[in-house]
Amino acid sequence: MQILARQINVLDYALSSLWRRRMKNLSVLLVFTAVIFLVASFQMTTGALTRTAERVLENAPQITLQRMSAGRQVDIPPEYAARLSSIYGISRIVPRVWGYYFDEVTGANLTVMGLATDRMPMGDQLHLALASGSFPGPGSRGSVVLGRAVNDMVQARGSHLLSLFRNDLSMASFEISGVFADATDILTRDLVVMNIDDARDLFRIRGDRATDLCVYVTNPNEINTIARKIADLLPDTRVVTRPQILKTYRVVFGWRSGFGSICLLTALTAFIILAWDKASGLSQEEKREIAILKVLGWQTADILAVRFWESLLVSGISFLVGVTLAFIHVAFFDAALFRPIMVGWSVIFPPFHLVPEMTAQVVLLIFCLSVLPYLAATVIPAWHTASVPADSALSGA
Amino acid sequence: MLIELESVTKIYNQGRPNEVRALDAIDLRIGAETMVCLRGASGSGKSTLLSIIGCIFPPTSGRAAIAGRKLSRLPDRFLTLHRRRTIGFIFQRFNLLPELTVLDNITLPLLPLGVGPADRRARARELMERFGIIHRENFRAAQVSGGELQRVAIARALINDPPIILADEPTAHLDSRLSHVFMDLMAELRAAGKTIVITSHDPLVTEHPAIERIIDIRDGRIHAA
Amino acid sequence: MLLDVWSLALIVCSTVVAFLMVFAGRSALRVLRFWNPASDDNRQIRLENEIWLTSTLVEYGLGVQIISLVVFVLAADHFAGSIPGAMCATGALLADPRGMPTLLIKLAGVFLYGFWLLLHQLDIRSEHYPLVRVKYIYLLLLLPFLALDIGLQMSYLAGLRPDIITSCCAVVFDSSSGGGPLLLRAPQVPVLQLFYATVLLLAGLAVFLLRRRRITAAIAYSLGWCWFFGLAMVAIITVFSSYIYNMPFHKCPFCILKPQYHFIGFLLYGTLIPATFFGITPVLVEPFRHRPGLAGPIAIYRTAALKISLFLLLVFTALASFPYLRYMLTGGES
Repeated sequence: MQILARQINVLDYALSSLWRRRMKNLSVLLVFTAVIFLVASFQMTTGALTRTAERVLENAPQITLQRMSAGRQVDIPPEYAARLSSIYGISRIVPRVWGYYFDEVTGANLTVMGLATDRMPMGDQLHLALASGSFPGPGSRGSVVLGRAVNDMVQARGSHLLSLFRNDLSMASFEISGVFADATDILTRDLVVMNIDDARDLFRIRGDRATDLCVYVTNPNEINTIARKIADLLPDTRVVTRPQILKTYRVVFGWRSGFGSICLLTALTAFIILAWDKASGLSQEEKREIAILKVLGWQTADILAVRFWESLLVSGISFLVGVTLAFIHVAFFDAALFRPIMVGWSVIFPPFHLVPEMTAQVVLLIFCLSVLPYLAATVIPAWHTASVPADSALSGA
Repeated sequence: MLIELESVTKIYNQGRPNEVRALDAIDLRIGAETMVCLRGASGSGKSTLLSIIGCIFPPTSGRAAIAGRKLSRLPDRFLTLHRRRTIGFIFQRFNLLPELTVLDNITLPLLPLGVGPADRRARARELMERFGIIHRENFRAAQVSGGELQRVAIARALINDPPIILADEPTAHLDSRLSHVFMDLMAELRAAGKTIVITSHDPLVTEHPAIERIIDIRDGRIHAA
Repeated sequence: MLLDVWSLALIVCSTVVAFLMVFAGRSALRVLRFWNPASDDNRQIRLENEIWLTSTLVEYGLGVQIISLVVFVLAADHFAGSIPGAMCATGALLADPRGMPTLLIKLAGVFLYGFWLLLHQLDIRSEHYPLVRVKYIYLLLLLPFLALDIGLQMSYLAGLRPDIITSCCAVVFDSSSGGGPLLLRAPQVPVLQLFYATVLLLAGLAVFLLRRRRITAAIAYSLGWCWFFGLAMVAIITVFSSYIYNMPFHKCPFCILKPQYHFIGFLLYGTLIPATFFGITPVLVEPFRHRPGLAGPIAIYRTAALKISLFLLLVFTALASFPYLRYMLTGGES
């Protein structure tokens, strides 16, 4: 109990000591806050990006099949789906046309998706992703749902039709039946969704073939087993599972955030040097104070404890302020400072809202990258200041 | 005997070219409840002697016992532990921390002991009442007059209720009126049962009637008074 | 995965510990070389002052080591997201042969640094500083250990690749299926009987030792704690964890650290590890009690450590048993 009371007293003294030297401490506080702000913003941005990617993938089919020939992707005939019927655990197989369309007028690359909404699980709930309108039903040909960017492009032309060219340069015009909601931007920005037959017609895909087959599985734990069985059964297909894509994303983002953090670590290092320097400089006034305290019965350990609390307070305040500012920066300003760096850098970075998450893990991570090095950098200067001899407070010394 | 020194020697930088023999075979015994003055010019060794009596550092050789505890070769940590209980210091120019309040200055020695804020305040208030500075409780030390400062310094020295009060050239920067006041306060403490050791070469101190014994120090040795 | 930000955090932690311990080691060399309690010259005074530097450095080192242990487990949990087959820290730690050794060595580090601080606290309680040599030699011996810790950690991080396929905890700790390097096939009932028997035995020994001093009993108590630490881990894996998860086949010592289980794992390990420390160490410092001035401090520590370990033992047992008892009482309806 006495140890605790002593620590509280020392903390009390450290607070008043910090306040008395607020001007000296302010510069350290500001720079440290800025460094933590950068590290935390970066961490939260990449974290938010990873999570957005994960959220998007939640809607992806659990297994996607593509037929390969000579190393390139080719159309997949419907018989392939029939051959999988023997595998136990598959709930549904849905054909899909997925392609890219290069718009020569604007130079934009559109993603075209032809869906058989009636055969998809929860296909009747797809309209929930729309800001307005509805999905083209199974029979309704000639209408599309557009992502926001595509819709803006069409509106800019003053048209209410989307006109695309087939391979033979004949034109296919589509009525716009709906627009995706902003929240789905990350996935749908450049997306054109149409009836699967329209897509076959647009890309000149024969009969009832598709570009890929989406396989839905009853038990998510069996994804890998079923994927393996499919690969055995259809050796000329590429089998992509959702967990695989997720892991790839994680690796890519992990690598990127690590690389970025290394850049930020240089800033941190510079700051640590500054902190060391600041902590080493000892004015006559401070020396006198420490000598007086020692004569009055303070141990070297007590002075060290004061210095520890001072460092902890400085880094704690910087930490709280820096992390809070970073949260505001990412949540309300969409990481505006990092945008120029991130845009050309990330595979998925359309202007959508970032939702940073403040988990204990993120806080611990930022703590390790900022507060720990600071505490370590101040301990040796603190000891130097604490070893001022007591008798220097006396007249003879 | 409260303070017992036997052939105490203090050598700085032993074995180096800049070796200094600050104290040389000092024998000194000071009983409880006495008021003693260590007189000597600067550089005579009286501050070193005061430091040894004040448990700031141990002697190089010889035996020293302060308030019943042998100091010889005691590590710094234990000297400090002993100092906290037995010694109250009054410095030259009083050495208060100007930015702290009077209350905080007085209670400084209590912080590492783990005394809680309420208790600290109660003990300090008692002393402030006694020395008539209670109205200055929350003033910063820099805002307080010289006469009050010296009372603050005395209160700080007494906050742990130590048996020994050491004063290091206390009147060197005081005018004669304040010096008299200071000595009268010391005489009061002596009457209240404290042992007081003052270093000084100020006649106002050495000739004060309350001084019971003057110890002359020259070149690190005691000369009979 | 050296470039992952979690790896980076680990590397920063290691760098900080290394920095602190290298400075402490420098101090140790100076103290071992020049320490002379008979002298009062400037060097000796400086060395006495350096004791505070080293102790502060090791205190910080211990703090960072504990944080680094937590970060290591959380990092493994994070890596699991990028390693095929891994669902939690178990998989990521087994994905590379250096994973588990790194974890164990980090855990050992916490004990070893803690023990140094214990020696230091005992030492400064005697005015002769009788353990100066012992504690500084011990400190120097910690340096290669630290190097091993960092080396293993770095090679683990470097060796961890997303293309390695590993197993999730359900496979590793599953008692019904065969195989797996850490397979714990211990059946539940005997493990529980042993666990509670050991708890009772340790508590009984502690109460006995608080009343009477018998060195054989003290040694038995320490050995009992070594045994209990391992047993408690087995019990957590095979029995208690699955009641925390409320899933009979989910047995994992790491998933209990996750937020969805209210971080109960931190409470469990946060009581078990210090309890073991205070359970084992009294006997380890016993040989020093004849050194000048140490008999008193060691006796005080002995009593305090007994009380602390007994208290933490009861807390740990209560915490670990709670989900189990709740399940037994409610029949799993919760």
